[in-house]
Amino acid sequence: MASIISRTVNHLRHVNRSVIRSWLPNPPPPLADSLQNRHLPLLGQSLAIYQRSLFSTTPNTTTENQRNPEPKTTENENSGNSGESGEGSKSGESSESSNAGKSIRGGPVSWLSFLLLVATGAGIILYYDKEKRQHIEEIFKASKEVKQGPSVGKAAIGGPFNLINHDGKRVTEKDFLGNWTLMYFGFTHCPDICPDELVKLAAAVDKLKKDAGIEIVPLFISVDPERDTVEQVREYVKEFHPKLIGLTGNPDEIRSVARAYRVYYMKTTEEDSDYLVDHSIVMYLMSPEMEFVKFFGKNNDVDSLAEGITKEIKQYKK
Amino acid sequence: MATEAYAARNPAEVHTDVLSNARQACYKARDAFYACVEKESDKKQTEIASKGLLYPAECKASREEFVKHCRTSWVKHFDALYCKNKSLKRLLDDKDSRKGV
Repeated sequence: MASIISRTVNHLRHVNRSVIRSWLPNPPPPLADSLQNRHLPLLGQSLAIYQRSLFSTTPNTTTENQRNPEPKTTENENSGNSGESGEGSKSGESSESSNAGKSIRGGPVSWLSFLLLVATGAGIILYYDKEKRQHIEEIFKASKEVKQGPSVGKAAIGGPFNLINHDGKRVTEKDFLGNWTLMYFGFTHCPDICPDELVKLAAAVDKLKKDAGIEIVPLFISVDPERDTVEQVREYVKEFHPKLIGLTGNPDEIRSVARAYRVYYMKTTEEDSDYLVDHSIVMYLMSPEMEFVKFFGKNNDVDSLAEGITKEIKQYKK
Repeated sequence: MATEAYAARNPAEVHTDVLSNARQACYKARDAFYACVEKESDKKQTEIASKGLLYPAECKASREEFVKHCRTSWVKHFDALYCKNKSLKRLLDDKDSRKGV
């Protein structure tokens, strides 16, 4: 990077030099002489300094060092001759110190540096372009691939719970181990959505039994513990499916199970006795180890539900 | 109050108006009422339902049936749903008509 900058600078200096040379046709040492002869020492000195600084930092080529002593001595003579202000001595020192890699005449070095610059630039551009193209192709390919099989990692849904089933018995998640479970969260006082979903759930359970011979346990968990008593739940789930198990509990237990299963529920407090509960409409498919496998939203109909469950169960057994 | 309503402490209080039969009756009355509103949509909407729904006087009878068979919260819920669907339909229809312009 630094070499590129120095090469650019040298290139610019070369350009600058050629401009000045065209402007002042004489080569520099005689110029200093001529200026002195015209008794304008300061102007001559400053010009000389400027020209020396132009030539002082060209890139290193060993061939140039041989030529360095010659112009150096001539310039030192000149500076010695004029030698009044501190500027002169300083310029002399600077010319001495910057002897390495001084090129006085424009020549192969500058052209070479220019070519190197172009080559490096082109090389960098080509390399970057190639890398970028590769990167884009990778992304394109990755997005086109159809990812088969289960995704990496598991959603953190599920967890232990401690509730009462519709027969009044205490149950935990351990009581559901060994069977595939399809859980739905709702409440009995739901006007239309919960009944529709539970009808769908029951139909899917029957369909699975009939088509694939899969036994799956449907589960209904109430998010309205204050109104959904055990009896209420029992009467409610009875009407949908004989296998449908209803769970309820006290508000704390319901809150913990809703949190574990990431279910939102909120009472719409219109009046105290008659209210609706706003809740997420979701069915969770749980494995025989009571681990979360898949969720189904409201948009699935009975067939897609049954298909999805069959697919997951078959995949799981693998 | 809330904890008292829980579990076996109130065994007799099963809200039968949310069970299947009651639900079906409610749905029927609801559908009848909304059909009436649709049918009489050109008439002047003088009566107030709930949640901003208005309906013409011709549908008063079906409205009463509806309110009788369904819980109040359900009535409000269905009214809100109906209004939302109607405005959505109006939006979609309007958009189509404006497409030509």
